[in-house]
Amino acid sequence: MADNEVTLTIDDQTITVPKGTKVVDAAKTVGIEIPVFCYHEKLGSLGCCRMCLVEVEKMPKLMTACTMDVGPDMVVKTTTERVEKAQKGVLEFTLLNHPLDCPVCDKGGECPLQNNTFKYGPGDTRMDFQRANNLKAAPLSPVITLDRERCIACQRCTRYSEVIEQDRALVMLNRGFHNEVGTFNNEPYDTRFSGNVIDICPVGALTNTQFRFKARTWDLTNSDTLCAHCGCNCNMTLGVRTNKFMRIESRPNDYVDDGWICDKARWGYDFLESKNRIMEARTTLDGASKTLPVKDAAAQAANALKKIADEHGPGSIGFIGSPYGTNEELYLYQKLFRQQLGTNNIDHKVYAETPGLPIPHYDVSEIETSDLVLVIASDPTEELPILDLRIKKVVTRGNAKLAVLNDQSTLMDRYAHLSLRYDIGAAAQVFAALANTLAGEKGEVQDTGITGEQLNSLMDMLKSSKKTTIIYNPAALTGQSVDVLKHLLSEIGKISSMECGAIPAAPYTNAVGALDMGVLPNYYPGGVPLADAEAVKQQSGENSPLEAGLSAMEMIEKANSGELKALLVHRANPVVDFPGSKKIADALKKLDLLIVHDMLETETSQLAGIVLPSNGPGHDDGTTTNIGGRVQFRKGGLKTTNAPDWKIISMMAKTLGDETDYITSFSVTDEIAKMVPGYGDISKKSIKKMGLARTAAQYQNGTKPDSAKSQPAKSDGLKLRIASYLFAHDKILDADSRLAHQFKPSTVHLHEDDAKKLGLKNGDDVIVVSGDTQVRAEVEISGKCNPGGVVLPRISDEQGVLGLAGADGISSVEIRKA
Amino acid sequence: MFAFSEQAEKEIEKILNKYPEKHKQSALLPLLTLTQRQEGHVSPDAMREIARRLDVSPAYVQSVASFYTMYTLGDTPVGKYTILFCINISCQLNGCDELLDYTAKKLNIQVGETTADKKFTLRREECLAACTGGPMMRVNDTYHENITPARIDQILDSLK
Repeated sequence: MADNEVTLTIDDQTITVPKGTKVVDAAKTVGIEIPVFCYHEKLGSLGCCRMCLVEVEKMPKLMTACTMDVGPDMVVKTTTERVEKAQKGVLEFTLLNHPLDCPVCDKGGECPLQNNTFKYGPGDTRMDFQRANNLKAAPLSPVITLDRERCIACQRCTRYSEVIEQDRALVMLNRGFHNEVGTFNNEPYDTRFSGNVIDICPVGALTNTQFRFKARTWDLTNSDTLCAHCGCNCNMTLGVRTNKFMRIESRPNDYVDDGWICDKARWGYDFLESKNRIMEARTTLDGASKTLPVKDAAAQAANALKKIADEHGPGSIGFIGSPYGTNEELYLYQKLFRQQLGTNNIDHKVYAETPGLPIPHYDVSEIETSDLVLVIASDPTEELPILDLRIKKVVTRGNAKLAVLNDQSTLMDRYAHLSLRYDIGAAAQVFAALANTLAGEKGEVQDTGITGEQLNSLMDMLKSSKKTTIIYNPAALTGQSVDVLKHLLSEIGKISSMECGAIPAAPYTNAVGALDMGVLPNYYPGGVPLADAEAVKQQSGENSPLEAGLSAMEMIEKANSGELKALLVHRANPVVDFPGSKKIADALKKLDLLIVHDMLETETSQLAGIVLPSNGPGHDDGTTTNIGGRVQFRKGGLKTTNAPDWKIISMMAKTLGDETDYITSFSVTDEIAKMVPGYGDISKKSIKKMGLARTAAQYQNGTKPDSAKSQPAKSDGLKLRIASYLFAHDKILDADSRLAHQFKPSTVHLHEDDAKKLGLKNGDDVIVVSGDTQVRAEVEISGKCNPGGVVLPRISDEQGVLGLAGADGISSVEIRKA
Repeated sequence: MFAFSEQAEKEIEKILNKYPEKHKQSALLPLLTLTQRQEGHVSPDAMREIARRLDVSPAYVQSVASFYTMYTLGDTPVGKYTILFCINISCQLNGCDELLDYTAKKLNIQVGETTADKKFTLRREECLAACTGGPMMRVNDTYHENITPARIDQILDSLK
């Protein structure tokens, strides 16, 4: 037996568990259930509900199993007469004022109080007094309803707010008999993660307003699936009744989400019933717009693309995929365009990022064992909320230090031991300086907003760490700064006293998968570069195109100049989401053929000659790869007669002579396992429960950055940083969304110095201008960025901030009073 | 809008000096007490201000403030004198209920209310740790033990 293990006896069973395990968890390992209410393994011990009383030899009183660590040779009994009497007593007390409305309570059937009462409780109550009455249905927020009568004051929800969310928005108010759950001044409890309190409530006090009185829990068909809203890919359970969406609950997977989901995962699925959905294929190729069967539309699309490719060469057609698509969809589309249509004009993004990392690709759970977390240009709170919880967890429990290197202040700064803010646009220079210093050369940080001293303290932190996780957001890095960052990563990797790995945290659901599936103009699946012709041919066949393709932005340019004739856009909305919005629409209008394959009507689908319907998450099966490189299965859940995306792509391929028959999405997964390096172990079975980490692609780009070249361009205007906001008012969260209370007004964050120069004050209505694009916003003087820059969060499609950005993401803006 | 008085600001500086920066939330009770003394009540605005200074959430301030009966939450100030009757076991056995009723009748208010002239507020209170001298009442910061109707008359009449 190791030093850090303890052997004890519970109900005559001898078990050995790690030191520090609570008796209640130790019992669970051998299938002995000790009932609890207040205890939750992610929240830790409290011991307020007294439900877990057990008898321990040599201890005179009954002990609470949830607060007691296991001890050597401890003898615990959970079923003695004394324990049973105590359990009956505690339950009788807990039930004193609890209403007997189980038949109409949403928790009925999955209620710990109901279950424990059946198993351990008294059959009756001795209480003769009138039960206390209280509020039955008070809205705690627009999406959570609180039934005060049912609350047993176990404090799980308030401790969740304190320990997990760490903002103490939900607290216990008053004392004794009057103790109740509440918020400050009865304000709504509307944090990003509020919904989790519904899952952990052991009674029917906190209920999902959306699900109230909709269905009995035992009538639901539950599908274990994933969230499709961000790169975390949190596990969740989709509850369906008579093929109608009912509710979403969290489903713990410690490798991914640590048991929590954000509110967008729980309530961001109103789009399933949106009136904006594309349900039918349509075409305008023969004149007026008319609908047609999907099969015909797919054939028409494929033939039209082929015809243009034959007439004008394969370089005249292109494909813009989506980092929100599944691996299967992405893989099949790149295969269609490469093998059948012969082009490498394939891309899915407007920022520079390449497959592969010079250091290991860390799983999200690696953060827990790190002693330094370095967050670069990423704002987990607004982009990947569940990652935010994980970082807060390790940092506040004293296990890890947090360093932040960013051009805007974020909520992470509050938890950071070191927080460096460089000027907007100076990222490359800062990364280069840090890399040079690490390599023992001189690192220049002039005009970057941070000092040499600050850089040195970051170096010291890196050098004294034993294990470091570096989290960076490639989508927030403009120009080619991500290449410099990768050079920096390789320098960090050379610190011999430290293990390290990185998490490329682009906020999109399957951004990592899109890179891996080769939806890139210069890489084949698995990060095989075009330059390595031998490898490409070996992997994808002799006829694989080897001519470098166009990136997404280059395709738009060529569309504008007329060289690109046809474009297929899958699950993306370039008109709004690509830099230069209006110019994008103009370029797309010049195409001979625009095919859009999407789930919801967008500004782009309005311009399309052929529109193909996409079922999307909730309906279609598929796998996605999260920011930690973990491949998991996203089950559909809802049934539909419409063909899934992978089938539609396969129809197109078949039209052009492909003979592969795919039966289910897993048939495609199997082909991916065979064809994509790094995905060899991925199969229906291997990813079933917890998913499986794929092997990261090999890192190709080893160029050392030129410091002088990465100097930020001097310009008169203010440098613009567009910040992401997950709860933005877009096509997914439309005006009817029940998360509308999370929408924000358009706000431009200015430094005090610049505000003074411009004569602006907090709350002023201004217009942010770049070229012929104007965006209205309200001024907030917040110190969110250094002087010389502005931060403009992208809060809605309508706001049109991307119109301000240059093709490489860099731009300067002017601010005028409205 | 709530603001601490100049006097209170000096106090706050002294109080905050007692605690390490990392543990400044320990100053929560003293700051609530200062507020109650200054305003006669603790308003949401005041709680927000205290939360800002101590770097905790306003909800946490309310959670603590509502735990203690010595703070009057809300927007209504208490009277010049707050009379708190202990109603816990020792005082109860010695007849605090009758004395409380007597006082309420004398002041012509219900328990929990403030007199029209804003002089007295009468409230029930949990144990005030003076069980040896029960029944007892507390008037602002002064304890009065072994009280009788006659003593109550005398005490109330002596207050200006």
